[in-house]
Amino acid sequence: MSSSLLNLRDARLPLRVAQASVRYAGRVETNIGDPKLSLIRRILYPSNMRSKPSPTGTWRPNVGWRLQRAIPSVQAHETIERAWRLHERHLRKVRQAELERKYQCMWKAMETLRELDPALYAEANKQEDPRERSETVAKLKGLDRKVAESRVRGLFPRELRLPTDTPPRDGWNYDWKPLPQYD
Amino acid sequence: MLPRNALSACSRRTPTRLWALSRPLATEAAATEAAKPSSSTLPPHPPKQRRPKPVINTGIILNRSPLITREPTLFEQAYHAYQARIQRALFNPFPDEFYFKPGTILEERFKKEEEEREREAFGPPRKAAASKDSAFTESESKSASESSENQSDNVDEPMPRVSEADKKGDVRSLDRRMDRNLYLLVHAKDQKGKPRWRFPQGGREHGELLHEAAKRDLFAECGDHMDAWIVSRNPIGVYEPPLPADTEAEVIPKTYIFFYKAHILAGQVQPDGKNILDFAWLTKEELESRVDKEYWLAIKDILSDF
Repeated sequence: MSSSLLNLRDARLPLRVAQASVRYAGRVETNIGDPKLSLIRRILYPSNMRSKPSPTGTWRPNVGWRLQRAIPSVQAHETIERAWRLHERHLRKVRQAELERKYQCMWKAMETLRELDPALYAEANKQEDPRERSETVAKLKGLDRKVAESRVRGLFPRELRLPTDTPPRDGWNYDWKPLPQYD
Repeated sequence: MLPRNALSACSRRTPTRLWALSRPLATEAAATEAAKPSSSTLPPHPPKQRRPKPVINTGIILNRSPLITREPTLFEQAYHAYQARIQRALFNPFPDEFYFKPGTILEERFKKEEEEREREAFGPPRKAAASKDSAFTESESKSASESSENQSDNVDEPMPRVSEADKKGDVRSLDRRMDRNLYLLVHAKDQKGKPRWRFPQGGREHGELLHEAAKRDLFAECGDHMDAWIVSRNPIGVYEPPLPADTEAEVIPKTYIFFYKAHILAGQVQPDGKNILDFAWLTKEELESRVDKEYWLAIKDILSDF
């Protein structure tokens, strides 16, 4: 975003996104068919005459002064961008430090396990392949299949919800009942 | 001491022809001379006395992930508004007549909202345009407000970000602090009978893998009316509870508690009431105030800060 603005500042070119190869200036409505179609045609292929900016058009004379109204000055804009990047860097460092601490805890736990019980350590280190039970699961029917497909080891459950701006209308499901687990 | 004792014992009993091979080294000879009187005075116990095998237990860190996004800081809000303004400046004009049939209520509502957004981004319209549009906008706004009042009954309002549980401060609720990670703490009596706040934990049966043991222990302590997903086979942390100071350190086995991370997706804890007295869903700071100091030092790096 900011790099394009800097390029705009440095460029001495007129503000043109693309050159239209077809000249369709000053159209004449020959067949008065469906008004919807003519509307679509008018929107998709605006006249090339430079009268005003259009939604799909490439001539934008007003971008310069609109941009001048939008940003206080080039220096102010660059300072704002730098401040934002510094803020993002700070967040990134904090996040990385937290992950590093968590990783060290995990490493320490695995080392302790290795010293205590190598068999359990080997089992804990096994990779979980989500495809491994798929053939047996495909042969099951009904409730058994539902139970087997509900949790696949090695995959995230689909009920793991992404955070949204507002909470769900029904709130938390307190009345969950367990399915019979066979594994 | 052990190898030297064995060697010296061996050297006394071996026949003469093996004497040369099993003769202790010169450096060890002096040590064994010194050790012999002390070894004879020790009480007789079997030579292979070791601490009994360490006990491996599992604990669960049950986490309710955030349900809503974080509130952006003032700087972030200002920056987002600034970027939105720049985007508005660089957009091509919007084809109103393509999306809205001219003269409809929907088009009026859209125009009103657009005007609002433009005013928010760039400030009130310039004077030349204002004088032309002011009469127009006043009449439009009246009709639009009437229509919006009719429409607001149909339009659904989103749920508030602060729930009832937040206002009451109900720590057992899973709707509290929806922007934070909540962890399950359980109020249970330890071996001495003193109630402590801790994560759910339990023992391991013979032949059971650690993550399976963790799952079983969680349901044993907290009831199985929870859709809990244990993330991985690997433990995320280990805790060695301190051995009680009064007993002999060599006799009792060391216990290790390996923590496993789990997410709760639905349901609620239903404690049996016998071993588990109470439970709470707490953020990291609230946890610190409830839990013992040395327990906190062991677990604080495992948990998410936010």
